[in-house]
Amino acid sequence: MSGLRLVGIRKSYGDHPVVKGVDLEVASGEFLVMVGPSGCGKTTLLRVIAGLEAVDSGQVLMSGADVTQVPPRDRDVGMVFQSYALYPHMTVRENLAFGLELRKVPRADVDARVAEAAAMLELTNLLERKPKALSGGQRQRVAMGRVIVRRPRLFLFDEPLSNLDTALRVQMRGELARLHRKLGVTMVYVTHDQVEAMTLATRVAVFDKGVLQQVGPPLELYHRPGNAFVAGFLGSPSMNLFDARREGTALVGAGFRLEAAGDYAGDVKLGLRPQDLTVSADGPFTGEVAAVERLGFDGYVFLETAAGPLTARFDGSLPVEVGQTVRVRPNGDVAHVFSADGARALRHPEAPR
Amino acid sequence: MRWLAVALALSACADAPAARPLKLWHAYRGGEEQAIERAVARFTEETHVAVEVLSVPYDAFSSKLTSAIPHGAGPDVFIFAHERLRQFHRLKVVAPTTQRLERARYLPSTVEALDVDGELYGYPLSLKTLALFVNTALVTDPPETTDQWLSQLEATSDAERARFGLAYAAGDFYLHAPFVFGFGARLFDDAGRASFDTKGMARSLAFVKALQTRGFMPQEVSGALVKSLFNEGRAAMVISGPWFTGEIDPSVRYRITPLPTVSETGLPLTPFLGVEAALVSSRASRPDDAHRLAEFLSRGEATALRVNPGRQIPAELAAYERPEVVGDEAIAAFRRAAERAVPTPNTLEMAKVWEPMKLALRGVLQGEVSPEAAGALAERRYAALNREQPSGRDRPGATSPWPWLVALAGGLVAFAVRQWRRRGPPVPFARRYPEAARGLAYVAPAAVGIAVLIVVPFSVGISLAFFHHEAGDYTFVGLANFVDILTSKGYRVTEPLSFWFTLAVTIAWTFVNVALHLGIGLGLALLLKDPLLKLRAVYRVVLIVPWAVPNYITALMWKGMFHRQFGAINGLLAALGLEPVSWFTHFSTSFAANVITNTWLGFPFMMVVSLGALQSIPQDLYEAAEVDGASKWTQLRRITLPLLKPALLPSVILGCVWTFNMFNIIYLVSGGEPGGATDILVSEAYRWAFQRNEQYGFAAAYSVLIFFVLLGWTRLTRRLTGPEAA
Repeated sequence: MSGLRLVGIRKSYGDHPVVKGVDLEVASGEFLVMVGPSGCGKTTLLRVIAGLEAVDSGQVLMSGADVTQVPPRDRDVGMVFQSYALYPHMTVRENLAFGLELRKVPRADVDARVAEAAAMLELTNLLERKPKALSGGQRQRVAMGRVIVRRPRLFLFDEPLSNLDTALRVQMRGELARLHRKLGVTMVYVTHDQVEAMTLATRVAVFDKGVLQQVGPPLELYHRPGNAFVAGFLGSPSMNLFDARREGTALVGAGFRLEAAGDYAGDVKLGLRPQDLTVSADGPFTGEVAAVERLGFDGYVFLETAAGPLTARFDGSLPVEVGQTVRVRPNGDVAHVFSADGARALRHPEAPR
Repeated sequence: MRWLAVALALSACADAPAARPLKLWHAYRGGEEQAIERAVARFTEETHVAVEVLSVPYDAFSSKLTSAIPHGAGPDVFIFAHERLRQFHRLKVVAPTTQRLERARYLPSTVEALDVDGELYGYPLSLKTLALFVNTALVTDPPETTDQWLSQLEATSDAERARFGLAYAAGDFYLHAPFVFGFGARLFDDAGRASFDTKGMARSLAFVKALQTRGFMPQEVSGALVKSLFNEGRAAMVISGPWFTGEIDPSVRYRITPLPTVSETGLPLTPFLGVEAALVSSRASRPDDAHRLAEFLSRGEATALRVNPGRQIPAELAAYERPEVVGDEAIAAFRRAAERAVPTPNTLEMAKVWEPMKLALRGVLQGEVSPEAAGALAERRYAALNREQPSGRDRPGATSPWPWLVALAGGLVAFAVRQWRRRGPPVPFARRYPEAARGLAYVAPAAVGIAVLIVVPFSVGISLAFFHHEAGDYTFVGLANFVDILTSKGYRVTEPLSFWFTLAVTIAWTFVNVALHLGIGLGLALLLKDPLLKLRAVYRVVLIVPWAVPNYITALMWKGMFHRQFGAINGLLAALGLEPVSWFTHFSTSFAANVITNTWLGFPFMMVVSLGALQSIPQDLYEAAEVDGASKWTQLRRITLPLLKPALLPSVILGCVWTFNMFNIIYLVSGGEPGGATDILVSEAYRWAFQRNEQYGFAAAYSVLIFFVLLGWTRLTRRLTGPEAA
């Protein structure tokens, strides 16, 4: 009902194309997270959806209607800005009520909706304060409240948590997820933080260089990345990627030979998630330890191998030290294989159920 | 300053003890300046007395003389018109010539002009008076009587073809004076007081008004218009002085004759006679040489030079026998005119006549006052301007400042004692402020600066407000000045001279200006803010230009543009087919002219402040508002303006204070016209101090009141901004 559809969106600033033809559909009630590195065009795309940027070509459709030429105030969208953009001269209450007043909502309704949103966001005690008297997390909640009271058909978030400290970010992430469940509205959320993408989204859209790389549920993207970029971008630490060649049933690269199933031939790119690799007495990969990250019961080692840098997990009890030469082996059938240019996935391991 | 002057004087003495040249100051230009320099050269040739000639700008001449001569730094001989003689005499800057002057050598009326209470001062050089210039191609026989004159005017005037029988600067009292005397009015009664509300005055005004209404002469005539009308043959006759001969086109055939006689009274139209004299300073270093120089300038060869190239009308009788003068019809005609003229009185009363007469004349010519009522109008203005010393008897404590000073000192002591006792247990000063000496040394330079530049003038100004000044004497009058101002003694509250009227004008002036500055400045700032605007930097520079030009230059340019006849604005109106507006004859247009000029000057400041403040508003607030549903107008009203307020409020308060005291514009553009109605408080205070008989005390009281008005304003605004700042 209140879905969103983008058709062939293109946008450039001067000679510099930022969004290069994006088609995307967001179903009603969905929480779509757009991720990508800085400059990938995700924020521009969000602003296009809000109506703050005009498109060079393409169409924005909401609930089936073309709103490409409709100004933001008539699109019935709400947006939480990265900087929060709270009106500094208004109290929290006035900030929350502003959008409703402009829409000529009756006074009593305004008060009721403000009170409701304030209660939901635990802002009730702060209503008479001005933004500069609030902490970062409180401001963030006011910015969200300002959207909530208006009950728009589409919520837009532009990196809303990026200015918060880690602990607060975790907490707010939880609240956002709760909010989405409670309100059940369509949300489009921009971030460069893959953790937010993985935890919040019903679907994730990964962008790079103005092009939509892949869209789908977070775990599908994690387990079945459509190309090497998506594979490398999602997951922490990043997936290890090596050039390799198909020789019989094995993949052969510089200094390694790995048995792998699948129906492909010639030069390929091999992808191995660090979580699927373990430091052990034997294994196909050998390298010198460049760095060690101990996280307690386990940790990651960063190796320099003949094929390039490699990250692998190790048992916390293992005495690994920088400068040592160790061997690494995969935990079963874990190889992702991409075409040599990384543009296509050729095989994925069976996802654990 | 005085030490410097002494040092300079000493060094000058040391350099040339004996042969210090005589110093001669004058304010001549052009041919007249050449004439005086050649005459002085002849003097030095003959007597071997060196003379140093200095030309001083006319505007500053009088005040330079009166301040330099008493300190021994002035000239030995100077040339000045006789109208100021009494003032010079009173300030003791001129030496008498009663014993030295050979009266018989000069035209009697010119000697008469140099008389102050029975003593003569200076040597008459030349005279100035008014005569009738007649274009002989249009009028064959110059008129003898006004009846004859009127019929000639009737015959030569055709207002529809813009042809006039007569042109002269009718709004100037100097040119109207012949009519006043011709209709039998006296300007001064036996007690020496000016009188305006007389039958003769009314008849003279009615006569002149009729000249205008019957289309015999154009309206609002300026000197430049007289010149062009006469040279183009569109004015058959002109009333003017000797200086006009130099402005007439060589192709125009004309004659100069004395003004006609008034048929009703049988009296001639009698102009004022001005006499320029060589005056000897009372502090002349070598009085005999100085007198020789002054007399030399008034006689013989020097007179000849004065006639040619100076084109002046000589005062010396022998000059008229000289061959080059005998044939000069213009000079002969002015001599005849001078015989009928009366010397302009050199009394202090005379100086007080000009403003009331100008008011009456302009009122009548612009049709705002009837000729009969104009005299009373002038009378009232005269009385108001020339406040007599408030009498001390009926005002308690108004005879001596001492009781006041004692009370003030007592109050200060009481205050100090109270402060001292509130301090609690006494702590030795040295222990309380261990580094007092060093601290004082740091503070001293600034403290001295503030004391000399602010505290002293401020105290002098406030003290002055309790005195009445007349001709160099100050008398203590207590609060009389304030009482007179606040009760608008001598004129109605609704008259332009009233403090309350002027205050209302000032407040309206301030409000209208600041509103326009803010509106235009903010509007332009909003336009210039758009980063996509092409040539934005260029516009910004262009729009700041009015601010960068010194404001008096801008004021003078606008004054020129508002000119009734030659101004660009009326030119524009005419090009659009609209009636030209005479900007300074009505309050509303005159006020508008001032406001337009000051707005031109004032908006860039507000624009710069607004622009700076606008750029500090984050762009995403507008995006948030846009998403929230705000139109551009709502964004301006609900986001921009509230966020600009903290930055703009101080500028607005400051702008109010500046505009409240914007002397330059008022003084230079409208000059208070019409009749002082557009004067604001500061310009009014200036007039009381420097244009109305030097009533310094009264002017100081005005200034003190201005100070209190602005003090009140700042208190009020502080209250307005107080909660905002918190």
